[in-house]
Amino acid sequence: MSRYNIVLILQFILLLFVQAFLLSNINFFGFINPNLYLLFFLMYRFDGDRTALIILGFLMGLFLDLLTQGSGGHTIASLTIAYLRPYIIRFSFGVNYDVPMGMIRGSLINQRITYFLQIILIHHLLLFVVVYFSFDNIFTIIKNTFLSTFFTIILVYISLGFFKEKK
Amino acid sequence: MRQLINALIKYKNTLLYLGLLILSTIILSNRSFYHKSTFSKGALAISSNFNLIGTNITKYMDLVNQNKKLIAENEKLKALELMHQNNIEYENRVYEGFGYEVKLARIIKNSYQLARNYLIIDKGAKDGVALEMGVISSDGIIGIVNQVTDDFSSVLSILHRDLKINAGFKKNGAYGSLVWEGNHPKKMKLNDISSLNTVSIGDTIITAGMSNYFPYGIPIGVVTNIKKPELEGYLNIDVELFSNLTQKKFVYFIDNIKIDQLKALKNE
Repeated sequence: MSRYNIVLILQFILLLFVQAFLLSNINFFGFINPNLYLLFFLMYRFDGDRTALIILGFLMGLFLDLLTQGSGGHTIASLTIAYLRPYIIRFSFGVNYDVPMGMIRGSLINQRITYFLQIILIHHLLLFVVVYFSFDNIFTIIKNTFLSTFFTIILVYISLGFFKEKK
Repeated sequence: MRQLINALIKYKNTLLYLGLLILSTIILSNRSFYHKSTFSKGALAISSNFNLIGTNITKYMDLVNQNKKLIAENEKLKALELMHQNNIEYENRVYEGFGYEVKLARIIKNSYQLARNYLIIDKGAKDGVALEMGVISSDGIIGIVNQVTDDFSSVLSILHRDLKINAGFKKNGAYGSLVWEGNHPKKMKLNDISSLNTVSIGDTIITAGMSNYFPYGIPIGVVTNIKKPELEGYLNIDVELFSNLTQKKFVYFIDNIKIDQLKALKNE
């Protein structure tokens, strides 16, 4: 087991617990909860094993749902985002992306923003669609998606500073 | 086989994703009653639509049987109806108690534009059709059988200038003979009603039951016009038929079971 894998597992557990016991209880304005655990998917190595990421994404969502008494929205959303991640990366950074160690260094700011926005937006959209699961609530879904995306992206940007330090 | 394995390896991520997605959907539906009911609503809609298609197909295939059943029921009901008009008490043995047997037949040729019209029906001697049986429809009388082969029979339509039907008034029983003058397939004349009888426009004409052909009480039509003679004599009554003989498909032929006894009596 390499050092990379240990870091990965620690990240996984840390983000899971922070999300489940801290961030999911914020209820900013009554309903906004930033989902910082998406940092795990954002930070996962670009050349890492995709199959492992899908399984990890599923487990992450499942544990989160179990810990927060959620119905299963996080499971489906994070599983899907783990599956879609390679396509999003290709879309954001171009076909011949060459940043194997992560997107922190050596990538343009606008590419990075596109990447963050897509992952977070798709995740939140799926999450709220699954949670509400009804056409009548379409406006609630859109409103929650955009507001939560906004707060999540702010939090993700702040947190990225810590990861930079480690590097 | 190797290609299959290769394809599995190639699409392992997608397959894994789909498998886990299904798994998480199952978890979702188990954890949340709302999602469960929404899923089952959707599943119900889909399955009921498919079932509907299936039922429609089987229904269509079964139409022949359904038709047979309906025909049998119609025959029974027609017999009951006629029996009721004859004021015979209901008995379980419908046919024997009533004296008339009713069977359904299909018209395969019909004419109404000639002066002497015939019909051909698809039942013959094999099915129990015999000469001089009455033929009726759901809303009136059609005619009398005049020729029978093994499988078909020819029916003298009431739209036939030489045919006289024994008919009368429902309200007082005054009876005469109904003839067709050859003009209009819904208009007939009722002759031989004595001017002693009080009749009025709108009275119902029914079969009078004095011939061997038709039982008493089958509705035929209504009186539309009455001409009184200047002296004593017979009324000249126009009748409009209930049934439209130009658009009939199914008829019932009536077998008078006790016709032999009647004939024996008449001959004496």
